[in-house]
Amino acid sequence: MDPGPLNTYGPTFIRYILVAIGIVIFIWIVYRVQIALGVKREAATGRALVSPWVLFFVVFEVFPIGTSLYLSFTQYNLFKAPEWIGLENYKQLFALQIVSLPPPDQRDKSPLPPGYEEVQRVTFGDGGIVIGAKQAPFWRSMRLTILYAFLSVPIGLIGALGVALLLNQNVRGLGFWRVLYYMPAILPAVATALLWRWIFSPSGLLNNVMAPVYNLVSLSPPRWFSDPNLALPAFLIVSLWGVFGANSVILLAGLKGIPHELYEVAEIDGAGAWAKFRFVTIPMLSPSLFYNLVTSTIAAVQVFEVAAFIPLPASTGTFLNWLIYQEAFNYQAMGLASAMGWIMLLLILAMTLLIFRSSSAWVFYQGAREGAT
Amino acid sequence: METASSTLPQSSLLADPNNKRQRAYLIRQIIIYGLLLMGAALVLIPFVWMIATSLKTPEQLFASKFSFVPDPAVPQNYIDVWGKMASIAPGMTFLRILGNTLFITILAMVGEIFSASVVAYGFSRFQWRGRNVVFAIMLSTVMIPGVVTRIPAFLLWKQIGLLNTYDPLTWPSLFAWGPVFVFLMRQFFLSIPREIEEAAILDGANVAQIYFYIMLPLIRPILLAIAVLSFQGNWNNFQGPLIYLRTTQMDPLALAMQFFNQSLSQTAPAWQYMMALTTMMSIPVLIIYFLAQKQFIEGINFGAVIG
Repeated sequence: MDPGPLNTYGPTFIRYILVAIGIVIFIWIVYRVQIALGVKREAATGRALVSPWVLFFVVFEVFPIGTSLYLSFTQYNLFKAPEWIGLENYKQLFALQIVSLPPPDQRDKSPLPPGYEEVQRVTFGDGGIVIGAKQAPFWRSMRLTILYAFLSVPIGLIGALGVALLLNQNVRGLGFWRVLYYMPAILPAVATALLWRWIFSPSGLLNNVMAPVYNLVSLSPPRWFSDPNLALPAFLIVSLWGVFGANSVILLAGLKGIPHELYEVAEIDGAGAWAKFRFVTIPMLSPSLFYNLVTSTIAAVQVFEVAAFIPLPASTGTFLNWLIYQEAFNYQAMGLASAMGWIMLLLILAMTLLIFRSSSAWVFYQGAREGAT
Repeated sequence: METASSTLPQSSLLADPNNKRQRAYLIRQIIIYGLLLMGAALVLIPFVWMIATSLKTPEQLFASKFSFVPDPAVPQNYIDVWGKMASIAPGMTFLRILGNTLFITILAMVGEIFSASVVAYGFSRFQWRGRNVVFAIMLSTVMIPGVVTRIPAFLLWKQIGLLNTYDPLTWPSLFAWGPVFVFLMRQFFLSIPREIEEAAILDGANVAQIYFYIMLPLIRPILLAIAVLSFQGNWNNFQGPLIYLRTTQMDPLALAMQFFNQSLSQTAPAWQYMMALTTMMSIPVLIIYFLAQKQFIEGINFGAVIG
């Protein structure tokens, strides 16, 4: 089964070298063709140098996106050719049912029609509603992923801003603190996932440290990731650990870039600490905040490793990216997984669009402002 | 910060204004450094816990009184974990897995550095129609989630018959698959004065010569920063190997961790071994980070310019 190290490294290495040579030849051909067509040397060289990426873009971005859209309208299990089923995958995914909750004495059997599973139950008083879906795991995972993104990103951003402001207080040994605080961001995601699963395990570090607190309020130690109600809070705590990392370093660079005169002028105008923060720091920092908001939202929706290493209760669902991976590669439902992928793509687009649309209201670009005056 | 003290009236007639100001300053300093230390503890405790666990015996793991100091410490865990691994997957030794990880990481890193610098060179030092449009398209590809390209890319590699090889993880890097690195390099190229090239062109140097003898030495700082970021990214990569590799003996460390987690640690997690693996996985990137922290921080801050 195992071909041994040399037989696995060797062929790949040879192909690597051949591809490298091939790329050089490709660049040269693109250059010659343009010259033959009468393009100026400078333009021809520039395009030729960029051409390897264009090739990559077509083969590994454009073609896959197109294929994935096509596959989302098919049923495909790798063994038989994809079979066109139109919107069936999407209909399956959006098969949702909302029914009212039966009175408390009749709750032993599901009020949902056959084929539907419960996703979310909302009770008010004695009544309530039950939301069910044919693809319940998908909707549970949507719920977890969206809630995670909506909560972890703002909390993380505020936390990162706090750390950046703290580091900006003319502290001694800034380099040391910065290196230290960035450490969690260096760790491989797989390592972080395993480490936190261990810390949050029922008899792990966190519960041990918190034991006196639990005793005080007579609470049994929470089971965190195994508890459907606590899985999300546990993930939020884990995501906070990363706050110290990249985001605060970027925001700190932003803070350092704010000209000191602005604060002096504000002081002359009688601004206090809060006014300076609100009317100088925040507007001047808003481009950095905006960048962080966009990248962290995209990253939060695509969480993968954590889900691969931390088993969760079925009623919690899992992170969407991991669910789609499993659907495609463990259950070979390539068509359905592609449809899920497209819904996720649209979700990411919608979220980014929302942030971009809101940005004109709060992001302040110095250049734009100068241009206007 | 001096702003806080300057808001106090300079010529106060109150008794001992100096003392009061000093006390306010002192309290402020105590709060700042207190918070910094608290943050440091929050960052470091999980690391300490990881290493401590990796040195414990199974009995110590769930001892009723937890401790950060393993007693007795069993560094043997680091060797035993590979023995366990090899017992269910013969040939899965430490050296093999390390070799796999380094093979993937180094080939992908070299590819990323060279291709990113060449493509960035084309984007920054030459005028051509459509340049800005192509560059904008390239930057926007950062937004495409891997989830939509993953399945077709898998099918593509399956079609060429290169599944379960290192190919999908290594040589596509030669085509500049990381737009962020191209962006960083381009910014750097743009800061180099044009006269340098013009002089070389007058001397009759061709593009390849200018690139190798003039440009590469000039962009060395950013090359190093990208090398460090790229090493980290490829070393930590989990999703790629997970999709393309089938033979466990070919796994890089990240996948070997998952293999261990799902086979030997499934029912009763052997945390001492898992933390030993986690530590081994983390140490190389941490060492590189400490050695090259300046480049790391610079690279990250440079990335922020995109916004």
